[in-house]
Amino acid sequence: MNVIRLFTDIFTITDFELRKIWHDSSQVFIRAIQPILWLLVFGQVMSKINLMSSSIPAGYTYLQFLTPGVLAQSVIFVAIFYGFNMVMDRDMGLLHKLLSTPIPRYSIVLGKTLSAGVRSVIQALVVFILAVIIRVQLIMTPVSIIGVIVIIILTGMCFSGLSIFLASFFKTRERIMGIGQAIMMPLFFASSAIYPVDIMPTWLQVIARINPLSYIVDAMRALLVTADYSHLALDFGITVLATAVLVTLASTSFSRIIR
Amino acid sequence: MNMIEVDGLTKRFGQFTAVDTVSFHVDKGEIFGLLGPNGAGKTTTIRCLLTLIPVTNGKATVAGIDILKKPQQAREVSGYVPQDVSVDGDLTGYENLLFYARLFHVAGSARKERIREVMRFMDLAEKANDLAKNYSGGMMRRLEIGQVLVNRPRVLFLDEPSIGLDPVAKRMVWDYIQQLRDEFDATILLTTHDMNEADFLCDRIAIMNGGKIVVTGPPSKLKTELGGDIITITSDNSSCRQVLQQLGYQLLPQSQDHDCDLVADNGEKKIPEIIDKLKNHGVSTTSVSLKEGTLDDVFLKYAGKRIGEGDLTWQTTRAVRRTERRHG
Repeated sequence: MNVIRLFTDIFTITDFELRKIWHDSSQVFIRAIQPILWLLVFGQVMSKINLMSSSIPAGYTYLQFLTPGVLAQSVIFVAIFYGFNMVMDRDMGLLHKLLSTPIPRYSIVLGKTLSAGVRSVIQALVVFILAVIIRVQLIMTPVSIIGVIVIIILTGMCFSGLSIFLASFFKTRERIMGIGQAIMMPLFFASSAIYPVDIMPTWLQVIARINPLSYIVDAMRALLVTADYSHLALDFGITVLATAVLVTLASTSFSRIIR
Repeated sequence: MNMIEVDGLTKRFGQFTAVDTVSFHVDKGEIFGLLGPNGAGKTTTIRCLLTLIPVTNGKATVAGIDILKKPQQAREVSGYVPQDVSVDGDLTGYENLLFYARLFHVAGSARKERIREVMRFMDLAEKANDLAKNYSGGMMRRLEIGQVLVNRPRVLFLDEPSIGLDPVAKRMVWDYIQQLRDEFDATILLTTHDMNEADFLCDRIAIMNGGKIVVTGPPSKLKTELGGDIITITSDNSSCRQVLQQLGYQLLPQSQDHDCDLVADNGEKKIPEIIDKLKNHGVSTTSVSLKEGTLDDVFLKYAGKRIGEGDLTWQTTRAVRRTERRHG
């Protein structure tokens, strides 16, 4: 009975978060601008440079290599602002009212992160469609598509969890905006998203190996581009683990936001 | 039966004591007001009662439920309308109501009926499918109250229910609050810094200042206890105050040499007598005015300052301005 209730609470929060996109979808397109530029501008130019083509798996173009990275980036763009939204809700009265209902605190965090996951799928779809339009060769079997959707949902949950966790300590909009920007760059550059880890200096390789984003991108790359599934279980396992840890941390720290 | 019972409630933020051993009770069906300037601890008190923030010390029950032992159950019977915007502008009015009906676990079969009833009562049906961000200030406030009414709360907590509303919308919200007490059988605890609001709405009030309750009682009784009407006398003669004191009139603490406030029963009949007596002592008066005692005077008597003179911190000022801006 209580488990059913928990799921209905989480579903309610997610449901109404998603209805907001239904009422105003402009955000989806505005947030797609930056990933699209990466693919169209950065990707097009970098694919002309031979430097990296020696390091990416043989037989694949740089754009094929880059697309999973940009998909992951578009997801992070959505997720990293969830903490910011939470603080906005607090600065108005929304969060106080939400907390005055009988639902458990953690179901709010679970509902919000899950909606970040679902939103991420919608966001990534925009990038995905563009990639198909510019003729990036991707594997599009039911299994690969479903696999990617699962990874994207987990990624959205993972980084929105991180964002909410940070928000419960930094608390003001200005600080969270700054922190969001500050972690986004290193997260992206110190991962396998835009270049192979092998060409990095050793110290950066170490960081990239700790960065969950590397594993997320690797998993999507295996599913969409290389069909090399040798690391998939590890990639998937680490993605699930990082998500579980960050969402748990966010759930426990979250009520600090209103103090 | 006491629907709210608060015993020695204390809340500290670090060194700062926001609520200082506060005790009061609210009877079933009563509208009870916490009146005081910004920063008096009113909002912190109700946030403690709603289990939004942990209590430092003391006990409290809501509808007989111990809020420290059973916070979730206490929240089930409570409805909270915060001072700031608490409707989601990106959802429609109907969705805002449905959202809370689901969060409060209103049974699926009863939801539609409850929402319909709230929309009818709060006059929201017409714009039910408009996004809430396009609502007027008064309508938004009604929606905010409606959101918690779908749960039929036994105790309703309203934080500054009419702040930032224009006089017409304010009066309308007051009428709704009075009606909903009867129609929804709710007990209401509200906070306000507006003494007219407290006077108009509340059966009983507690005046708060600096985290403490300074006096509790029905507004009419508190005003009577002032001792009657307030007569303000100004004179060119600087011994005016001294003479009035010698004559045995009860002067209020803010009186000055030329400018005296005194309290008297049946003020309008006392005025000629006072003027005569002053003249006999060689004091001529330049102006005399009479007003009935207000809750502001009650506050002045117990807190030593007027309500408007509360020490506004930068944060509360910003919060109030933001709210006022929203309501335009």
